[in-house]
Amino acid sequence: MDNLLEIRELAKNYGSVIALKSANFSVSPGEIHALMGANGAGKSTLVKILTGVIPSNSGSIKVNGSLVQFTSPDNARKNGVAPVFQDPALIPDLSLRRNLKLTNTDISKFQEKIVEFGLKISLDEQVSRIELPLLRMIDLARALAHDPKLLILDEITAALPANLADIVIRVMNKEKLKGNSVIFISHRLSEIGEICDRVTVLRDGIDVDTFKTEDGDENRIVSAMLGSKISQSLTESRESNLANESLIQLKSIQDNKKLHNVTFRINKGEVLGVVALEGQGQDSLFEILAGERRVSSGEIIFKGSKVQFFHPNDAIRLGITYVPGDRKSALMPQRSIRENLALTKFPRILRWGWINQKNEDLMVDKAVEILEIDTRASSQVKRLSGGNQQKVTIGRWITTGFDLLLCFDPTRGIDVGTKNQIYQLLSSLSAEGKSILLFTSELREIELVCDRVIVLYGGKIVAEYDATNCTEELLLNAAHGRVE
Amino acid sequence: MRIPLREQTWNISILGLVVGLTLWRGNQLPVFGSYEIKTILLGIIPIALLAMGQSLIIIGGGINLAIGAEAILINCITARFSEGTSFSTSLKWALIGILIAALIGAATGWVISKSGIADIVVTLATSFVLIGLALFVQPGPGGGVNLEFAQAFSGKGDSFVAPLLVLFLPILFIWLPLQRSRIGISLYAIGSSKDAAFLSGVNVARARILLYTFGGVFAGICGVSLTAITQAASPFAVISNTATLNSVAAAVLGGVSLAGGVGGLFGPALASLVLYYIPTIMLGYGIDPAYSQIIQGALTILVVLVGGLLRSRGK
Amino acid sequence: MKPSFAKSNRSMIALWIILIITFIFTGIVDSYFFSIASIGITLQLAAPLGLLAAAQTIVMLTGGIDLSLAMIATGAAYIVSVKSNAGLTTALLFALVFCVLVGAINGISIGLFGVNPLIMTLSMGAILIGVFTVGVSTFLRGSSRMPEVLVTLSSGLIFDPITWPLLVWVIVGGFVHFSLTRTGFGRVIYAIGDNAQAARLAGVKVWQVQVAAYVSCAILGGFAGIMLGGQSGAVAISLANSYLLPSVAAVVIGGTSIMGGLGSYSGSVMGALILSVLSYLLAILNSSEAFKQLVYGGIVLALAWVYSSISERK
Repeated sequence: MDNLLEIRELAKNYGSVIALKSANFSVSPGEIHALMGANGAGKSTLVKILTGVIPSNSGSIKVNGSLVQFTSPDNARKNGVAPVFQDPALIPDLSLRRNLKLTNTDISKFQEKIVEFGLKISLDEQVSRIELPLLRMIDLARALAHDPKLLILDEITAALPANLADIVIRVMNKEKLKGNSVIFISHRLSEIGEICDRVTVLRDGIDVDTFKTEDGDENRIVSAMLGSKISQSLTESRESNLANESLIQLKSIQDNKKLHNVTFRINKGEVLGVVALEGQGQDSLFEILAGERRVSSGEIIFKGSKVQFFHPNDAIRLGITYVPGDRKSALMPQRSIRENLALTKFPRILRWGWINQKNEDLMVDKAVEILEIDTRASSQVKRLSGGNQQKVTIGRWITTGFDLLLCFDPTRGIDVGTKNQIYQLLSSLSAEGKSILLFTSELREIELVCDRVIVLYGGKIVAEYDATNCTEELLLNAAHGRVE
Repeated sequence: MRIPLREQTWNISILGLVVGLTLWRGNQLPVFGSYEIKTILLGIIPIALLAMGQSLIIIGGGINLAIGAEAILINCITARFSEGTSFSTSLKWALIGILIAALIGAATGWVISKSGIADIVVTLATSFVLIGLALFVQPGPGGGVNLEFAQAFSGKGDSFVAPLLVLFLPILFIWLPLQRSRIGISLYAIGSSKDAAFLSGVNVARARILLYTFGGVFAGICGVSLTAITQAASPFAVISNTATLNSVAAAVLGGVSLAGGVGGLFGPALASLVLYYIPTIMLGYGIDPAYSQIIQGALTILVVLVGGLLRSRGK
Repeated sequence: MKPSFAKSNRSMIALWIILIITFIFTGIVDSYFFSIASIGITLQLAAPLGLLAAAQTIVMLTGGIDLSLAMIATGAAYIVSVKSNAGLTTALLFALVFCVLVGAINGISIGLFGVNPLIMTLSMGAILIGVFTVGVSTFLRGSSRMPEVLVTLSSGLIFDPITWPLLVWVIVGGFVHFSLTRTGFGRVIYAIGDNAQAARLAGVKVWQVQVAAYVSCAILGGFAGIMLGGQSGAVAISLANSYLLPSVAAVVIGGTSIMGGLGSYSGSVMGALILSVLSYLLAILNSSEAFKQLVYGGIVLALAWVYSSISERK
């Protein structure tokens, strides 16, 4: 039987940067196929070429035996290949109805799907007013309304609450039964085994392993992604740092509907982890501590005195610094690494004077060394890999100094090698006596890096554990609200 | 096709303002009849047409700083070649003028798409080129047009039906069908988010070209109306610059967001009435027209400020 | 991963080539152009544009624009001439206060209230035209001639080709270049132009930087206006009008992105020089107004296009 999708020796380069070297990938009819790989491995490039977002440099793509080269996602959709991207491809200022008209989507078919999902949506609602999880489902419904033979889901479960994620899994299985196929991209190893039939792992632009899920497990995936065995030192738990004095205390924090009666503390030199599913209030919590957002009620006590933040500068001055989850909101793409690292030196008008170039060079070089950034300091930040960019985001605060570092999902979408480096960095920072508040969507990080962990659910803290005596299972349950 | 609530609210507010100002003006004048209405309409036709063209372009995520120059160029071409001709010849030149304007718009859109230079910069440069061309065609004030043709535009005697039609026919036959069509939606799309538009199947480059083409059509009609109303050509850079700036002010006052993707053409058309009334009413009281400039500027800032605040509240 | 300075070097080389070509071409058409005196005059006339370009560079680096710059320049010149009978220092002080005030209003509206810079400065320009038109006949009645000292500083010769205005331009321009490249102020200007959100999260008070940018812009505009007033002898409302669009053009040709975050004043200086030589060329060719406009617009477009393809900035 012909493969539904047959990709042979696909290659793509951007000047001297090779995104895909020679990727082979095939999908049979009626299968759910996981596409795995670290950042920079070529997953997203492959999907972009397949769906017509970008052209390839060489290689072939065959759908049902015939050669194809899609010119746009719309073109792909018309030919039975429907992508659902991480950022829903919907026009924010237009109503849902007009969006559907734009993509020539059959409205009644779309409505059918929405009803099947058990959701209620008004077609005249403006897209920018709809929340992300719902938008993803709408994008999925739209893709399905075009009766695709091949559905491509790119990290769709990442932002979905459990009930919607279940619907997605149901949909995938239903498509499989109909004889259609799904390409499933996810960073969540645990999902792969449950949902998928086969797995293909990409590394450095080449497919390095393809196997049936019954023939392998998570370790096989990770070692294929890494290219070597996971180093043992990672799985050693840290020494706990529990008997210290309090640095910051939050009391009964209330933030509209996002946070309810949140009370906890962070000690000096402690790494406190935060675990939560998407949208449980962790964004607000971090924004409040960063000075980006005001509380409706409650107190923050820092080093013994009550504080209030009206601008990020207020928090920074006290030594509370923020590494946002979205690198785009933390970096200046057109400026050099040096300028990005040094940016934190100029917060107030009094600091706008002459720059001592020699001192700055010393500071920047030192930071680049500590962070192990392998690029010249004068390079534009937009040319860096995701991992290096993340290091720069953290690096700015190392040069300025801080007491509390707020890290929001710092390792999201970063390759395993850089992840390790960041873990080492955080560990050494806490050994120096700094405190860290770390929100992460990777549960294994809690054991690796944290001393204690709190779990948020529905804007409330539902559990608090020592990192040494909690398991991933315990955390996952708590994150779903299932606490003993 | 339902108009978004925000747009509806804005249109209604402007309408209220227009009604109020009309009553005020009507009160000012000893007589307020058909002739007076005709005068008002003739006064706003050029600026309303430019406002509508500019609004469309801004909705599509662009801006055309040469729109006034485009209108002046068409004015010069039509007035130069329609002088002392028959009705049909004048009509022929009017149509040619609109066609030329559309082509200029298409060329502008093409340059912007192909070169990747920001639209402000491209249209800035184009404004020089177009004025230059206008001066080339008509080095100084002059030209004319067939009298019957002029009357067809400005109405015979006291009748204001013709100018009213000139104002509404473009809305009826260009804007309304465009807004419902997929092409029209794609213009909103590229103004709202180019990336999402591409992913939704819009050919962004082609949509951009269409955007400026349609804008050009409005500029062309404006140029023709200038010829018909003033029965002359006025190749002055000052006029074209002022007209362009006014078109942006009217768009913003009419509820069009400079960020793109938001607004319609009704609001700006009404807003040009407001911009017309302010100096006219003040002049009626014998106040120096310079004061009305100050008020217009301050009003625009206020409206944008309030609009911005409302938008951020709504999030 | 090329370091960013190589790219800007390429652009500067391109600009130098264009300037030299234009220079030589003008010299071929008019041999007198190659004389020291003639070069001196060209530089003298380029100085106001150079200062206006400095003003626009600063705000355009933050991602904004100042369309009220012409009226700020004219206004400053006007105030100086009208108040000149009260003494030079007083007159200059009044002009400074005016510039700071207008710049602050622009900056606060844009930085604190989020008004779009195009609309804000457009409207401010209209307001200023109204204010000065009324003022001419009321509270701003007085001499429209500039004080002698300023006339000398605006057009006096030191020795060929160095004129006073050139010296002023070099000093002020040098200060601007230094601020942009070697001070924290310059860093935050580039920062908020590249990514205002990132700057904010790093602790920068974005609105303060905006205000500082527009005030600096207005002050530089004031300098330019006074120089223009000195060069033409008398001040009229339309004094700086024809310089507004060229000031933006010079900055664009010089490689500063209108989106902000990228560019330099040295590029804008090249842009101002190129446009000034071009104006000379067109004047010498005795071309019609039509031809001048056509060439001007065509050259700006062509240069911006060439530059854009060299820099591959989309």
